[in-house]
Amino acid sequence: MSDKGDVDLTGAKQNTGVWLVKVPKYLSQQWAKSSGRGEVGKLRISKQQGKAEVSFTLNEELTTIDGIGEKAALVRAPREHPFTMQTVGGQTLAVFTESSSGETWQLGTPVGYKIALEGVVVQRAECRPAVSDNYMRLKRLQIEESSKPVRYSQQLEKPVTTNYKPVANHANNLEYDKKKKEEGKRARADKQQVLDMLFSAFEKHQYYNIKDLVDITKQPVIYLKEILRDIGTYNVKGTHKNTWELRPEYRHYQGEEKSE
Amino acid sequence: MASLGGGGSSATEYVVRVPKNTAKKYSIMAFNAGDKVNCSTWTQARMERDMSNRRMYAEEEATEGAAGSEFGKKQREEARRKKYGIITREFKAEDQPWILKVNGKAGKRFKGQKKGGVTENASYYIFTQCPDGAFEAFPVHGWYNFTPQAKHRTLTAEEAEEEWGRRNKVVNHFSIMVQRRFREPERGDDEEEEGEKGGKKKKKGGRGGDLRIHDLEDDLEMSSDDSDSSMGEDGEGKSKKKVSDAKGKGKKKKGSKRNAAEDSDDGDFEGVEVDYMSDDTSSEEDEPEKVKPSKTEDVPKGVDEMSDSEEESEEEKQNEEETKEEEEEEEGKKTPVHMEKKKKKGEKDSSGESDTSDDSDIEGEAASALFMAKKRTPPKRGGGRGSTGSSRTGSRPGTPSIDSGSTSNTLRAAANKLEQSKRQMPPVSSETPAAKRLKMEPSPQSPQPSGKSTPQPASGKSTPSSSDVQLTEEAVRRYLIRKPMTTKDLLKKFQTKRTGLSSDQTVNVLAQILKRLNPERKNINDKMHFYLTE
Repeated sequence: MSDKGDVDLTGAKQNTGVWLVKVPKYLSQQWAKSSGRGEVGKLRISKQQGKAEVSFTLNEELTTIDGIGEKAALVRAPREHPFTMQTVGGQTLAVFTESSSGETWQLGTPVGYKIALEGVVVQRAECRPAVSDNYMRLKRLQIEESSKPVRYSQQLEKPVTTNYKPVANHANNLEYDKKKKEEGKRARADKQQVLDMLFSAFEKHQYYNIKDLVDITKQPVIYLKEILRDIGTYNVKGTHKNTWELRPEYRHYQGEEKSE
Repeated sequence: MASLGGGGSSATEYVVRVPKNTAKKYSIMAFNAGDKVNCSTWTQARMERDMSNRRMYAEEEATEGAAGSEFGKKQREEARRKKYGIITREFKAEDQPWILKVNGKAGKRFKGQKKGGVTENASYYIFTQCPDGAFEAFPVHGWYNFTPQAKHRTLTAEEAEEEWGRRNKVVNHFSIMVQRRFREPERGDDEEEEGEKGGKKKKKGGRGGDLRIHDLEDDLEMSSDDSDSSMGEDGEGKSKKKVSDAKGKGKKKKGSKRNAAEDSDDGDFEGVEVDYMSDDTSSEEDEPEKVKPSKTEDVPKGVDEMSDSEEESEEEKQNEEETKEEEEEEEGKKTPVHMEKKKKKGEKDSSGESDTSDDSDIEGEAASALFMAKKRTPPKRGGGRGSTGSSRTGSRPGTPSIDSGSTSNTLRAAANKLEQSKRQMPPVSSETPAAKRLKMEPSPQSPQPSGKSTPQPASGKSTPSSSDVQLTEEAVRRYLIRKPMTTKDLLKKFQTKRTGLSSDQTVNVLAQILKRLNPERKNINDKMHFYLTE
């Protein structure tokens, strides 16, 4: 347990400074498509008159956007993204990681699950695309996409004929009738046997519905009710289903045993 | 890493990489700046998920056995849920809050709750610089806001609501938590109330009950509780007195500060009867405390009755007498003022003057308060008294002089006020309470006030400056000139505490004086009154 809970504080001690950058969705999607070592672009930091200017340039190959429809080919992601730098103030932001090495699970927790403090955020930035026609088109596309309702009505040309056809007798019904015939009418078994069955059933649960009991014992309802009247009580119990339970003298439930 | 040197500004380019397939999931741990969290100071930290909500989502099977269970209950429940469209949310371990413990058991605790909606519209990336100069960007999977968890006790919702109702009256906020702490162990007892009071009073001498400035019901309630429970219990009574003593003191103190708008407190301490009869000095200490509860009880009554003070002096005398008698009876165990009050009430019935007994209560209060003040501020007395005494003389006509922190001044102020209100009353009556009060105040401090006391009799209409009580012929004459008095009344005037004589001596000396003076006699109300005309 101590391994799991401990936090690796090396990052905090070193006071590694990191940047927290907010990146638009489309850009992160493009980044996900990167190949190889994962190089996605270049970051240019320049100092002009005391102010730092940061700008990110997306790699060429990642500018193609796909998956939006016919217009995809026309639109490309913009390449230039200046960063807007912000201060962290008002919050102390630290970065921690959870890592699970390997997929082995033990006692419900992954083995080698480690929490480590990576560092502290020193700068916040927002990645904005440089405004261009390209970008505008992209945005328009996105808006069109998102404004489409999830559910829509579509007119059908032909009526659907595959599902319901009129049938003389449904397959379900046929099966049901067959089953019934096999079972036959329920015969009255010996009273003692029935009692045994009932008692063993009441061992498992305290309250039973009459239908359930019929199922269990396979006895006709009237016969079963007679027997039940002897040994049990009909119980309204406050719930709307009326249930049968054994009489108190026939049961003691602490040890989950019954007494006759 | 390529550096470009274009356009006079220095710019450096870095490659940005987004590593794939990292096993690590990055998350943000956000602390409020006000908490001043510095991660580099942490020596050790532990963090795990807070699984306490698991039972909320888990289907509890209370009775899996035979007893109380129904056949097919689960299925029926499920069918019911489906029918009504009830969807229970799953318990996701991912979304549970974190519990972060820093620096072991004695360190801080934080709870980190997941902030929703972070990854919906925009993604956050962490840019770290690698040793090779390139940047690596990692996506952030979750944002957790960490808040420090209070280790001190807090009030529950009900308690908080109670306290909210009393917020205008409670001044001492520390006592709230103290009481709560004592309430908890006592809760096991059957007599919770007793326990509360006992707890408050016995254990914490200073702070029994919240300090109330002017809460009539609470005072009355407290007084009734006091009388009920303390009647048979001496020890408790003592400690209770102590407590209510402190309470009252605190109350008075605050009263003086807060009472610009309130008239009520000023008149509270008038006419409070003080014990003069006990011989030990130690019992003296008890007395103010004993008297204190009466004061606190009497406060509400005093307030109301302050204006009706016509027969005050008579009642005073009665009161004093009672007190004296009681003192003789008791050794200062019971609250004499309690008894006194009860006796007063008895007297009330017998004499049939309901207003005045209240007045005498006031007097009693004032006396006790004054006494209290005396007891309480011995260090201050030296300097404070003299100056306040003089200032009081000077300021007597109008403003009650309020000294910060010295309760005696409120009492003086009270006395002042009473003076003024009574100025229309027969001068005699006003003189006696004032004089009595004044006498009570500085009697231990004989040198200074005694000087002032001498001009007093000459001035006639009482300047409420401190005066000493001396059983002199002059004094007796003064009294008898002003108003016809019985021997009892006279005795009351010269209480042994003040004069330093024992009761026997007082009686003797008084008898001698009376012989010398040879006053005229008159029968008023079937009692022999003496008076002088000059």
